[in-house]
Amino acid sequence: MLLRGSWRRLAQPSAPRPWHRRAGSEAGAAAAPRYEVVVIGGGHAGAEAAAAAARGGARTLLLTHKIGTIGEMSCNPSFGGIGKGHLMREVDALDGLCGRVCDRSGVHYKVLNRCKGPAVWGLRAQIDRGLYKEHMQKEILNTPLLTVHEASVEDLLLTEPEPDRPGKCQVTGVVLGDGSTVHAGSVILTTGTFLRGMILIGLETYPAGRLGDQPAIGLAQTLEKLGFAVGRLKTGTPPRLAKDTIDFSGLQERAADNPPVPFSFLSEAVWIKPEDQLLCYLTRTTLKAQEIICDNLHLNNHVRETTRGPRYCPSLESKVLRFPNREHQVWLEPEGLESNVIYPQGVSMTLPAELQEQVIRSIPGLEKAKILQPGYGVQYDFLDPRQLTASLESRLVQRLFFAGQINGTTGYEEAAAQGVIAGINACLRVRGKPPFIVSRTEGYIGVLIDDLTTLGTSEPYRMFTSRVEFRMSLRPDNADARLTHRGFEEAGCVSQQRYEEAVKMRAALEDGIATLKSLQFSISKWSQLVPEVPISSSRRLPLSAFDVLRYPEANMELLARVVPEPLGKLAQWRQLAERLKIEAAYEWCVENQQQEIEEVRRDEALRLPEDLDYFAIDASLSLEVREKLDSNRPQTIGALSRIPGITPAAIVNLLRFVKTNHQKAENLSSEQCGDRLMCWGPGQS
Amino acid sequence: MVGCTLPPWLLGGQREGFALRVRWEPPWVCGVHMEGSWAGVHVNGVVGYPCTPYGGCGRGAPHPGAPSPCCLPCPRCAQRLCSAAWGDTIFAVSSGHGRCGVAVIRTSGPGSRGALQSLTGRPALPPPRVLALRRIRDPATGEPLDRGLVVWFQGGDGVHQTPPRQRPGSAGPQSFTGEDCAELHVHGGPAVVSGVLRALGALPGLRPAEPGEFTRRAFRRGKLDLTAAEGLGDLIRAETEAQRRQALRQMEGELGRLYQHWSDALTQALAHLEAYIDFSEDDNVEEEVLSQVDATVRALEREIGSHLQDGRRGELLRGGVRAVIAGPPNVGKSSLLNLLCQRPAAIVSPVAGTTRDVVEVALNVGGYPLVLSDTAGLRDATDPVEKEGVSRARDRLQEADLVLAVLDATAVPTEPVGLGAALGSLQPPPTTPCIMVLNKADLLKGKGGSLRAACTQGHPLPPVTLLSCKTGEGLDHLLALLARELARLCGDPLSGSPSLTQSRHSLHLRQCAVALARYGRERRSDLGLAAERLRLARRHLGSITGHVSTEDILDIIFRDFCVGK
Repeated sequence: MLLRGSWRRLAQPSAPRPWHRRAGSEAGAAAAPRYEVVVIGGGHAGAEAAAAAARGGARTLLLTHKIGTIGEMSCNPSFGGIGKGHLMREVDALDGLCGRVCDRSGVHYKVLNRCKGPAVWGLRAQIDRGLYKEHMQKEILNTPLLTVHEASVEDLLLTEPEPDRPGKCQVTGVVLGDGSTVHAGSVILTTGTFLRGMILIGLETYPAGRLGDQPAIGLAQTLEKLGFAVGRLKTGTPPRLAKDTIDFSGLQERAADNPPVPFSFLSEAVWIKPEDQLLCYLTRTTLKAQEIICDNLHLNNHVRETTRGPRYCPSLESKVLRFPNREHQVWLEPEGLESNVIYPQGVSMTLPAELQEQVIRSIPGLEKAKILQPGYGVQYDFLDPRQLTASLESRLVQRLFFAGQINGTTGYEEAAAQGVIAGINACLRVRGKPPFIVSRTEGYIGVLIDDLTTLGTSEPYRMFTSRVEFRMSLRPDNADARLTHRGFEEAGCVSQQRYEEAVKMRAALEDGIATLKSLQFSISKWSQLVPEVPISSSRRLPLSAFDVLRYPEANMELLARVVPEPLGKLAQWRQLAERLKIEAAYEWCVENQQQEIEEVRRDEALRLPEDLDYFAIDASLSLEVREKLDSNRPQTIGALSRIPGITPAAIVNLLRFVKTNHQKAENLSSEQCGDRLMCWGPGQS
Repeated sequence: MVGCTLPPWLLGGQREGFALRVRWEPPWVCGVHMEGSWAGVHVNGVVGYPCTPYGGCGRGAPHPGAPSPCCLPCPRCAQRLCSAAWGDTIFAVSSGHGRCGVAVIRTSGPGSRGALQSLTGRPALPPPRVLALRRIRDPATGEPLDRGLVVWFQGGDGVHQTPPRQRPGSAGPQSFTGEDCAELHVHGGPAVVSGVLRALGALPGLRPAEPGEFTRRAFRRGKLDLTAAEGLGDLIRAETEAQRRQALRQMEGELGRLYQHWSDALTQALAHLEAYIDFSEDDNVEEEVLSQVDATVRALEREIGSHLQDGRRGELLRGGVRAVIAGPPNVGKSSLLNLLCQRPAAIVSPVAGTTRDVVEVALNVGGYPLVLSDTAGLRDATDPVEKEGVSRARDRLQEADLVLAVLDATAVPTEPVGLGAALGSLQPPPTTPCIMVLNKADLLKGKGGSLRAACTQGHPLPPVTLLSCKTGEGLDHLLALLARELARLCGDPLSGSPSLTQSRHSLHLRQCAVALARYGRERRSDLGLAAERLRLARRHLGSITGHVSTEDILDIIFRDFCVGK
């Protein structure tokens, strides 16, 4: 079943207007503390949002149930991957935390897709949960301007909206569990799966977010009353196993990279010695597991229900049902250096606990494995992200931002990416500055947020490289070149040190490319110099060193060996040498994409007014198109053209309406163009 | 033009000792940097274009038909890689369709200047907005195509353009799209038109316009908030739908199935490659997937290559709006055909089911070409020959641009709802425009008045007219209705412009084949780059068969592979 069908608009309150708050909180207002940005929730989105706002110079308050859970990795013990690694590099380019912290807490670093080309390399690492938490908390607690406070949030303080913007009210602060209030210039909600979160194991259900955490009730009700549209999603987590009860002897090993590649542009190397890294192991399910699952479907509420789960992170049950009679991979991943816990990636399930044990023990190597904590399913409401602008501010409530899983995404990296953007924009909003928007043409972050806010989602949204149109240009290696300058100049969220590093790297790259291009020899000379590079002899023109570098067989080391002057010094700087090689290999492709990128940018530069009432406007649009426009509320013509079912005719009609009604100042003489239009008619004879 | 010396930048090359065998031919003229008369130069048999900001390739863009890209350094920029954008120039026939006296072909974009210079073989442009008589040649072969009028419109300072050298006193961009535009008014014969379109398509950086693209560009430049643009949205809609119909018409039967097959195969190959990139490290996406993709791509490349050489492109096309006369048996469909073409082209008899095969007549109504088809009466026939006739009639109905639904005026209900139902029983395609003809008006007695009232009132109905094929009564009204519908259909510059569709298709197919060939080359070294080639190939094929979204690709991935943690 499609979730889109199950969208529901939560009941609107008939009686008191939402910004009429309790008398008590109003009375305490004078003495209430005041922050520029308040972040609710200390997960991956919340931590990044709070840190980004504080880096931007906003006095920021992070509210969390427990400081001890900041930086908690609630699901898999790994960061990064294909597509996700790209996001982490971009978060790092904006001076976000997760990349840096991972460089200090990983136990097994591996670049995936090594042999498939640098545009799709997936930086990934197994992370020590304890270390990650420790380092993340250290970062958060030591960020200047950032205060962390343990409290539950019961409600939002709301007031009349700013008249010149869309929205029915604006948020001015929050009400805490003890009834006290905190005033805020803007508020970021990063509360994950707290909306009607439900845990399922077998036939049992518990209301909760993560196992052991309390769901927030009051806040959920306020959001309901405000009329936010929600949808329901499900996800799951596998049982955790005791390492000392697993027989690894017959299993396939996966070794880590040596040397490990750090996530952060600022890290020279990761903290761990390459040889100290832990191993991962691969095993596979057998048909016995399938048998147990199929025999016990009646005991499995989570699987039987129709709520849309992710197609790409499916439970073992759905894998078995959709692809029967196969072996399914199970990765046994360490949870930390000291930890006795193994995370069996690939077998998330919701069977009753005793049956989970049977399934686990049917897997080779796990015959005697002990389950430390059973797997479980989670179902939760998420807010339709189409209610947000590209800055992640909600259109319904001014100054209220949303980031992370609450917007329908899955994964730490997706959460962190939204967190940084929400943090930056909450800060800019308080300053009255224009929002910081990353375009689809600039980064995976842009694709993520544009997909969410324009198209919404019907399953937990995860990043893939295949979602990205300009994959050849948006690479992990050049995230700093794409975002750090903007982050420094427009968002103010990037430290001076990082900015200088990025400037240095950019200058070195430009110099390096110019040097390589100016170094030209004839083909026969090159063939003598580097016989290992099969230069095609059909060309008659001199070839630059940059042209030679684009051959897969060539690299900077090789070129520096044969032409030490001036290439020797370029090859010495390892990162620079690698990046020059990538730039050379991708040059044609990036240039070819440039034109398309321009096209997209031009469409994105055509902005639609946010307060357009699509049902009332006098333009020739069908009701169906009007409904689509009203629910998606595209902000630009670019976003509009990506909505399925919007015809070129609708785009043109809307453009005409917007142009004539909002830019009357533009004064073109009809003589100029009127006669040209006649060319649409039949030709003269 | 004749007797020019070798361009200095080539002499430079020779001085440095590179063996250049230059065959230089007069008609090539490039844009700004080359104020002489050399634009394209044969270097060892390959056409090269020097760098210009107005459409010269400048960065090794493959010249269609050339064995490999060749790019020569520009004497002014002194480099081969130029920052000027190329390839952002579109062209289309913007006059009416079919055979007409004069066809207007318009280009828009920074390459317009170069295109006009190349086709006219003169470096000097006529003054803006002034018609000039020029000989038009194919720049690749030098072959004369036509003598026609050309107009040059100077665009504004666009994203890609250097500020135009404004003539004193001229204010602002004075062209339809706001960009540099050129118009070629050539003789309207299909051979001339398709020759010019082919020549334009072969210039580096020029491509056929997509539906609505001129309009979109005009909007971007703020040129269209005018009362003159009224109804433009409808026009665009007609444009896209007519194109779809046109595509359908061209792709019916074997050709259509072939294109669709390629499209499916390529989409699947791309999805599998994307799955291999995104999931192979963690999941059960095996290496063998890749060899299947390779095999698919090789097969596609071969098939498309041989198809392109085959020369049967556009065989099904004919100019003119396709109108189909349809209706129940014995209502006078063939009589209507004969009445309209003023000769007994079809056999008429009082016996139901006389017409069995499709009878086609080419007509000219109100200046618009019309291909009128008379079809067998629609009924559940038992006779095998008539059965085939009915099935052909239904096929024709589906491909029609315009339906003339003929009903017996004496046998239809007299209120609009009943009339609508009678029309519905013929099952005309829902989006195709339709004219209802109620024949045998001469046999109406008392019923005439109420039926006439229903005709004029009928809001939910298509245009209706009462007609007597016997007396000719109502023919004027029918012709007026026909002319109105034709005007509406033909206002669309793309409809029925076979050569454009044809050149657009072959251009996209050729580029698709080029991208597939490059996939093979890059496959071993960088899978990301190889995937990019497939994406490009898919986009070109998608321009013919319809675009495929990321979500469609993801659907295939999750359908075919068990991926996930």
